[in-house]
Amino acid sequence: MTDPTTPLIRRHAEEQFAEELAALAKHDDRARPPNWKLSPWATLTYILGGKLDDGFEISAKYIGQRRLIEIAIATLATDRALLLYGVPGTAKSWVSEHLAAAISGDSTRLVQGTAGTGEEAIRYGWNYARLLAEGPSENAMVPSPVMNAMRDGALVRVEELTRVPSDVQDSLITVLSEKLLPIPELGKAVQALKGFNVIATANNRDKGVNELSSALKRRFNTVVLPLPATADEEVTIVAERVAALGRALEIPAEKPALEEIRRVVTIFRELREGKTSDGKTKLKTPTGTLSTAEVISVMFSGLSLAAHFGDGTLHAADIASGITGAIVKDPVQDGVAWKEYLEAVVKEREEWRDLYRACREQL
Amino acid sequence: MGVHVFGIRHHGPGSARSLQLALGQLQPSCVLIEGPPDADALIPLFETAAMQPPVALLLHEREHPTNALYYPFAAFSPELIAMRFALERGIAVRFMDLPVTHQLGLDAETKGEPRGVLGDPLALIAEAAGYADSERWWEHMVEERQDGREIFEAIRYAMVSLRRELEWDVRGGEAESKREAMREAYMRQTIRAAIKEGHEAIAVVCGAWHVPALLDLPPEKTDRAILRGMPKKKIDATVIPWTHGRLTVSSGYGAGVRSPGWYHHLFTTPTDVVTSWLTKVARLLRDEGLDVSSAHVIESVRLADALASLRGRPLPGLDEMNEAAKTIMLFGDELPLRLVHERLVVGQSLGSVPGDTPMVPLMRDLAKQQKSLRLKPAAIEKELTLDLRKPNDLKKSVLLRRLDLLRVPWGVGGDRGAGLGTFKETWRLCWEPELAIRLVEAGVYGGTIEDAARAYALERVAKTEDLAQLTILVRQLMYAELPDVVTPALKALESRAAVAADLTHLMVAIPQLAQLVRYGDVRDTATEVVREVLDELVTRVAVGLLPAVTGINEEAAEEMFTNIMNVHGAIGLVDAHRDLWFDTLTKIGGKDALPGLLRGRALRLCFDAQRIERDEVERRFSYALSVASEPAHAAAFAEGFLRGSGQILVYDEGLWAILDRWIATLQAEAFETLLPLLRRTFSTFTAPERRQMSERIATGGVTATAEDDYRIDDERAAAAMDLARQMLGIA
Repeated sequence: MTDPTTPLIRRHAEEQFAEELAALAKHDDRARPPNWKLSPWATLTYILGGKLDDGFEISAKYIGQRRLIEIAIATLATDRALLLYGVPGTAKSWVSEHLAAAISGDSTRLVQGTAGTGEEAIRYGWNYARLLAEGPSENAMVPSPVMNAMRDGALVRVEELTRVPSDVQDSLITVLSEKLLPIPELGKAVQALKGFNVIATANNRDKGVNELSSALKRRFNTVVLPLPATADEEVTIVAERVAALGRALEIPAEKPALEEIRRVVTIFRELREGKTSDGKTKLKTPTGTLSTAEVISVMFSGLSLAAHFGDGTLHAADIASGITGAIVKDPVQDGVAWKEYLEAVVKEREEWRDLYRACREQL
Repeated sequence: MGVHVFGIRHHGPGSARSLQLALGQLQPSCVLIEGPPDADALIPLFETAAMQPPVALLLHEREHPTNALYYPFAAFSPELIAMRFALERGIAVRFMDLPVTHQLGLDAETKGEPRGVLGDPLALIAEAAGYADSERWWEHMVEERQDGREIFEAIRYAMVSLRRELEWDVRGGEAESKREAMREAYMRQTIRAAIKEGHEAIAVVCGAWHVPALLDLPPEKTDRAILRGMPKKKIDATVIPWTHGRLTVSSGYGAGVRSPGWYHHLFTTPTDVVTSWLTKVARLLRDEGLDVSSAHVIESVRLADALASLRGRPLPGLDEMNEAAKTIMLFGDELPLRLVHERLVVGQSLGSVPGDTPMVPLMRDLAKQQKSLRLKPAAIEKELTLDLRKPNDLKKSVLLRRLDLLRVPWGVGGDRGAGLGTFKETWRLCWEPELAIRLVEAGVYGGTIEDAARAYALERVAKTEDLAQLTILVRQLMYAELPDVVTPALKALESRAAVAADLTHLMVAIPQLAQLVRYGDVRDTATEVVREVLDELVTRVAVGLLPAVTGINEEAAEEMFTNIMNVHGAIGLVDAHRDLWFDTLTKIGGKDALPGLLRGRALRLCFDAQRIERDEVERRFSYALSVASEPAHAAAFAEGFLRGSGQILVYDEGLWAILDRWIATLQAEAFETLLPLLRRTFSTFTAPERRQMSERIATGGVTATAEDDYRIDDERAAAAMDLARQMLGIA
């Protein structure tokens, strides 16, 4: 574990919440599946938050439907692989990181899926100097995070599974069905210890890019993470995350007023749904995703603007550029949608005057 | 020994199972059930194998059959279990609720007063137990238990304390509490009667709420006082097939449950509830073309079990299984679960009743015909295509049409579709239990469906004043093969037509009649009568049309436009009085004072039928569009002439030129006012027509001033193109 005083931008979940995990483990007297650091019930409390018997407060990592997290944990307990699916910014990676932190105590066994992810990222690679010198041997082999997780009986995360080319994806099939990773060069195979499992995330905007083969799909339980159901829920999520980020990055500005967050959440929700919250006005929908994650980043950039260039309090002008930047991804199409929204909705709302003026200046 | 009260939940499979065990242990000599005593005579029917639930007791007022009460029973209803238990052992069994004869009498007295909403008393206990939903609480505590012999003790205890706390507060208004008091008084009276008869062990089966009221019997005279002087109605009782869908709360049934199909499964599957349910789900999804393998089922069962233990439940419930199915079989997709809900969780079973059930003659007749025609009622909507050349199919069609006449819409549709030819009909069939009450209602008209339909139709013929409706009725009667009503109906039609003063009514009736003459598979005599009526109507319309369209406003002209088109179509269909009709149209086309819309259309119809010379059309067109005429009138004329088909403009250069010239001469202001009108006209053209026209304009292929030295200045023309497109409605 890294020294807590090292000025890291971001700590691993298991380090940041080490205290909570330790407290949960202390009180956890229910059955744990082999190699799990916490029981499924304690894991559930860790993710959703709650109070322990001695009054210790566990913060909520995920705000949303309880049953989804229950399904996710039950899936891992039945040693089926878990696929978290949803539009960008719905906390898929976030949930997977915390699940790994709670269950295996380690969220760093990670394969980042990209178009260039090769088989060696999932199976194993070679140290070529050694390979040439010694020939194929255990020493010359470079294990992948998946192989390490199998040996340790731990969780491994695969991010953006659908970005990975199909042939590489399919190398997961044997791993998932037989819990086995053959190494033909050595005539050996790695067998997974109990507790090994895979959490993959995939983005439904990537639908059809590298669709999972049905053989692979069958080995995953799919949990769809939705966008926040209500504006209030979304405001809570944003407020909490922005506060946490501000602490981590030592931004001196005041915490943003809930009202300011509510405004941005409202704008993004309305544009996302293509209608105003009272359902009276139809709106053009911009091309980009306007998820909660975007709201968080808008709020956060506004906060740092206010801290470094403003008077330390968040004003409409500080978030205007962030909002415009998040919405207008395609200068022509999105520009029209945003302008229409400004004129038809923002301008009409009496208490939003400052925001309207600030946003007009950006265009 | 003595009286044993078993508090159940209506349609609760766990209650049913526990009740069966408890009755087996008690070995009572008499079973009393919360149900209508007026239907006591029907109880023995429930022993026969032909009685297949879901069914419902139907009790209705003899005079007004719509005044009815239903008592549904599913295979898992504790009441049904109790009945069958008693019947199999040959012991006494009877209903003990307040008789329907009084209930309907009371309804009549309190008519107009809003009936209080019955609160759910269990909701309070569920709330105390930390459940938001009382049904789920009851399910976990009672229904999903496989063994629950002590459950009745617990229910009695809970209900006694609950009622001590609340008494009637949660049960709605004053009238409602009075009714409840009467019901319980009657129940106690029935229990007293059974004790007097000397029964030693009496099993009383009632809704859990009533248990405390039946435990101790107060002095008989108090109950007698409550029940004194109750109003009465004459009642008929029968048993009708019911559906699982109608057992649900969402169908409006007060004592309904949310998931009858699931309950049925719970009740009929003693072991491996989870595995067999998820297998059912998998098979359903497979039938719908989704790839679901046995491996999926295995994994779903494991996940459901894991979820249940995570949530601290002994067995997975419906929620856990739905979630497992969604996560594993459906890859997170929510939509197919709706199918699972509709087909399995609610279910679509339709019950059946034995042949010797007392029922109204109409029902019996229908059952007989259903059997002989092999047309089984089903609760799922199903499409049926009939080939009328086959005798059996023709009979089916006739039956459906007669039922439809009697307002028993078992089948919907029955159009002889254009694509199918005139000998094919498609119907959508769906049997709703309420149709039974419609049949009872129709029973006053006759003993067989044919007789009743005939009598009912005769009554309608006499009552129908509207000419158009009468013609529709005539058509229905012909298709329903009721020739002896057709003749009076046609007579009525004739006499109504003779006195009908409003020309539009006549015009609406003509197309229907023309259809009959053209396609009706009618006996010759009838066709002849229809033909005569039609001829007469056409004559009257042709003669009366000119005065009728004089001096009418724009709105009326619009209506007349449609009527003229319909009549024109009908005349084309049957070839009646063509010359007379076109004479009238020519006159309308030439009369200045008439609405432009109609003038234009009359001219167009004549032109299309080549009843008028091309030069003449061009002359009139040009005349109507000359500078001196009011621009709005001119535009209306153009619309009447052109609406619906612009083909003529594409091919007829002369007309094109006239229109072009007219638009060119319009003042800027007038043009602006007319633009919407013109646009409306042009937008009725098909897209290819509009494209052809704009091509014409673009290439200058046809213009009024096509002179030799004429050259198109592309740049300047381009400026006008946008406007031209806008006018043609293709911008």
